[in-house]
Order: sequence, then structure tokens, then C-alpha cells
Amino acid sequence: MGGMNYTVVDSKKLATAEIYGKTLCELGEKDKRVVALTADLAGSTKIGDFKEKFPDRFFNVGIAEQNLFGIAAGMAKAGLIPFISTFSVFASMRATDQLHTDICYQNANVKIIGSHSGTSYGQAGSTHHAIEDVAMVRSLANLKVIVPADGFETANAVRAAAAMDGPVYIRINRGFDMNIYENEDYGFEFGKGVLMNDGNDVTVIANGCCVFQAIQAARILESDFGIHARVINLHTIKPIDRDIILKAAEETRRIITVEDHTILGGLGTAVGEVVLESGRACAFKKLGLNDCFSAIGFHEDLMTMNGIDTEGIVKTAVDMMKRAHVVEISSDGKTTKALKFDDRDFEAEIDWTDEV
Amino acid sequence: MKEVSITQDDLYAARIFFNAALPLLKVVIQSKPNIKKKFEKKNFVFQVSALYDMAPGGKMATHLVFNNGEITVKVSEIHPKPDIEFVFPDIKKFIIFFSGKGMPLPKMKGIVKNMGSFMAVMQGLLTMSKLLGSTDAPVAIEDQELLVKLFFYLLPNGISQLNKAGHEKIHDFALKSPDRAYAFAVTGYPALNSYIRFKEGNSKAGRGEYPRCKPFLTLRFDSVMHALDILMSKGDMVDYMANDYLKVEGAPEFAGIVGEFMFVIGDYAKAAYMD
Repeated sequence: MGGMNYTVVDSKKLATAEIYGKTLCELGEKDKRVVALTADLAGSTKIGDFKEKFPDRFFNVGIAEQNLFGIAAGMAKAGLIPFISTFSVFASMRATDQLHTDICYQNANVKIIGSHSGTSYGQAGSTHHAIEDVAMVRSLANLKVIVPADGFETANAVRAAAAMDGPVYIRINRGFDMNIYENEDYGFEFGKGVLMNDGNDVTVIANGCCVFQAIQAARILESDFGIHARVINLHTIKPIDRDIILKAAEETRRIITVEDHTILGGLGTAVGEVVLESGRACAFKKLGLNDCFSAIGFHEDLMTMNGIDTEGIVKTAVDMMKRAHVVEISSDGKTTKALKFDDRDFEAEIDWTDEV
Repeated sequence: MKEVSITQDDLYAARIFFNAALPLLKVVIQSKPNIKKKFEKKNFVFQVSALYDMAPGGKMATHLVFNNGEITVKVSEIHPKPDIEFVFPDIKKFIIFFSGKGMPLPKMKGIVKNMGSFMAVMQGLLTMSKLLGSTDAPVAIEDQELLVKLFFYLLPNGISQLNKAGHEKIHDFALKSPDRAYAFAVTGYPALNSYIRFKEGNSKAGRGEYPRCKPFLTLRFDSVMHALDILMSKGDMVDYMANDYLKVEGAPEFAGIVGEFMFVIGDYAKAAYMD
């Protein structure tokens, strides 16, 4: 089954998780209280470097996630800063009771890094798809939730988590993420969304791997349809950036949320709650898994299947705009641009002639 | 005339040569100032054709229209009265000639009347043939860049042409494909970029940067020479990736598919199926 086994090349290119591993080492150098724990997934979650550098501060508890969380809570109460690394699906569900009672209830200073989130480990099957984790962890008091969009943002998120007191859940992918930033210096601020593209026709709010797709969709919406899409990377789901959401609702009146997660209880729900509580009205559509389990396959194909890739976002935005496109209107010798609404077939005008 | 049996592989190979390789003559002429100069004041039509009863008009052809230095390529179109025409008696001989497997010379029409134009075309064709047929990287830097460009243009075009011809593997892939673009690039050399876009059975090869958005996947080389190593089968793709000479921007699983299609085109360009 393709993609299940990492090759020597793949293992060097697991950008997001690898950056997390390196950042954890950097934190370990600076602060002796930082310890790393895993449940037999050190290799997959890329904390092997930490194990090599700080063998006395690395703990593999075996395949026992509940113990992993309980031990981490105890360590935190003893003054350490434990970083737990495991798959998101196990972090959010197999150890929910320990996460709830041992960590969140005690406001223990534990940082949970859930990797292989969403459908990013698509080939491994439904047992390894973490499509409900955000809904689970978002409801736990004291727990902050960050969903970085690429490796650079992951590094920023890990540093921010280390710098604050209390539990933090960081949701990252298996790897192979497309970078949306050139480097880490773009002004990451915990709890603050990032405006990735400005526009006033429709707002696409995304997080994680969907941010890249949203940015590409905005380019296509602009070039092919004349639709100016605002794109917001809402990396922090909790606490949520109410201002950036409400500004978007007011200025664009149309919001599409995109997440590699069920549409029940995740990013879309969180954004919807903000809009609803404000009393403002706007067209609203949540893209994600629609109350279903995912098929099994490559992550990219699953994103397409679930309508959370570039094409899915473009189609949704065009539908939301009532299939509007820009036309030029000439009157009194002046040419102005206007939106025309029609039922033309989506991309019926593609010229498939090869360029020679 | 002795009847020649034409196989499906012959048709695929012919399509690559006619519709993806021959059009590169324009690129070669435009990239070489000394050759380009020879076309500046010339107006003529040059056509290459191969007789094939099953094709509309009884032959497969590609022609180039030269108009005072401007060049227009017309693939899959038969010009009724080209000024110069190379006519191959059948598709197999055309493939043998262009793949370098042999020298079954075509019938050359119009060369006496258009000797100057003929000489210019021959210089372009020989330069292209020397570049694409070489086993070692060219010495001149501009030739290295041109060769990468020729390969980068040939591969997406060849893949797209095979899709349009119904090649089982490639067309099956295209049929299942959502709207995705696969690009070839060398960092720092945007003029060399090319791409292929697939969507639900359709495909389009293009040159330059993919205009709509960031491609679904980009095979990005760090230098022209490293690109040539891979394109000329002198380097190991896995080693090059491990050393960051070649970066896959996107999921590696899909890079494998593109790599596989590159080899399909390479094999047809060498007429390997005839071995």
C-alpha cells in the first residue's frame, strides 16, 4: 500500500513533524524542565532527535496512551514541562479521560502534539483518521487548541505553547505539507488569525493543511471568476479570534470554513458560534467531512473527495456567489466592471489545446 | 507498395514525435540567435508528414509556418501546399528516423526551389537532434539550459498527447484526476518551467509557470546540471532527492506517478518498444 512505509527520502522530507522535532530540541536546550513523552511513536512523530540529545528527559511509556497522559500530568505537577507526542486520534480519544481529568481539570502544564491529524494518514484507515479530535479537545476547559498550517507555523506554535502556562493541544499532519510561509518570521501571534489574502466578496477561513488550498482557491477565484476572496488562516481555534471573524462577516457577508475534520464541532462550528452570537447575518458554509467517516486513500485524494481541496473551495465560493462573474459594461464611452449572475457550467470554457 | 503493419505503439510514438517533439524546432530556432537570424526574412511553410491510410487526409503531419521571423506551429494539421515537405512512406520509418534508430530518409519536396529556407530548417533540425540525441550534457551553458527547456516542454506535451490518444495507463489516470497541475522547474530559471494540467480525462501541457495557482505538485531541481542528470538518466532520482538536488513540492506518492509517465515518454522517444 503506497505511502504506508516511509522511504529514506520520505523520512527526510516530513517537514511539519520534523520541524516540530527540531523545535522541541531547541526548547530542550534552553529549558531543562522540558521533557518529551511518547507511546511508542517516537519515530513517526519525529522526536527521535530529542531522545538522542536528552536521553534522560525522554520517556517512552509503550503503547499505553492513558498512562502517557497520566504520567505527563504528574510530571507537570512536579514542575516539568512535558511535551506529549502521539497521533491525534489517540491523543483526543484513547486518552480522553486522562486528558480531561488529569491534565485539563488540573490545568496541568502539558503540551500535547497530535500528529497525523485529519485524514493526513489516509492510507492507514479509519482507525488512524483523526476527524473528530478538534471537536473533542475544543470542549475541554483550560485547553488551548492550535492547528498550524505548515512547518514554520508549527515551530511558532510549539514555542508559543512552551511560553504559556497550562495545557495546549497542537494538531499537525503526517508531513508533506505545502509551505505557505517563507520562514517563521511572519508575525505569528497566539490567538490571532492571519490574513493570507485580502478580498471583499467572500471569506474563506481555514486552518491546517486547508490554508494552502484556500490560498490557491483565492488565486483561481480571482483569475477565472473575478471573485475577490479573503483568506484567513485561523490557526488558533481556542481562544478564537473573534475580531477577524466578525470583520470578515461584516465586510464580505459570505463565509466558507474549510477543515480536514468533521463539520460537527470543529473550526466551522467555532466560527459559526462567533457569528451567531454577534447577531450578524451572513451566508455561511462549512466544508469538511459531512457527518461521515472518510474513505481510505492518499491524503490529497481524500481532500478532493471531501471537497476541502482547491477545487472544492472554488466550487463552493462560486456557488455562494450565485455563479457570478465579472463582465465589462460600456456606457457613454466608459467601460465599467460589474458582476453578472448566470448559470454557466463551471469552467466550461477551458481550452485543452496543448501549448506548442 | 508493401503494406506495413502499424501497431498502437507506433501510433503513440508517432503522436509524440509529431505533436510534442517536432514543435520544439520553434523553441530551438528562437533560442539560437545564429539560427533565428536565418529565418528573419523568410516566408514559407515546412511540413513533416508520414503516410498513413487510416489518418484523415491519408497522412499524419505537423507543419510550421515561417513568416518574417514569426513561427507558428500547427500540429495534427496537413498543409495542402507546403513549400518544403519531408514525406516518410510510412509511420514506422518516420519513427525510426526521429528516434535515431536508423536513417530511412524521407522524400524531400521543394528543396531546390527553396534552398535557403531548406538549409535554415536543416540547421534547426540538426541542432535539435544533436541536443536531444546527446548522451552527455552540452558544454555551453546556454545549450544546457536549452536542453532542459526542450525536455521540460517535451515531457508534459508527450504525456498530454498520450492521454488524448487514449493511452491506457495515462488516460485512466487522467480520467480519475481532479483538477491538478504537475510542474517541472529549476530554481532560478523560471523561463524553463512547464506544466501539465489534468481534469477528469482532459489534459493540457503548458509552458512557463502554471498561471492559475500553485501546482498540485512540482518537481523542482536546484540546478540546470542536476536537472540534466535526471533527464538524461545519468542520476538516481532517489539519491538526488535525498541530497536535495531534486525537491518534490507536494506528496511524494504523486511524484512517483509523474516519474513513471516521464519514463513512458522517454521510451517512446527512443522507440524502445521496437527493440
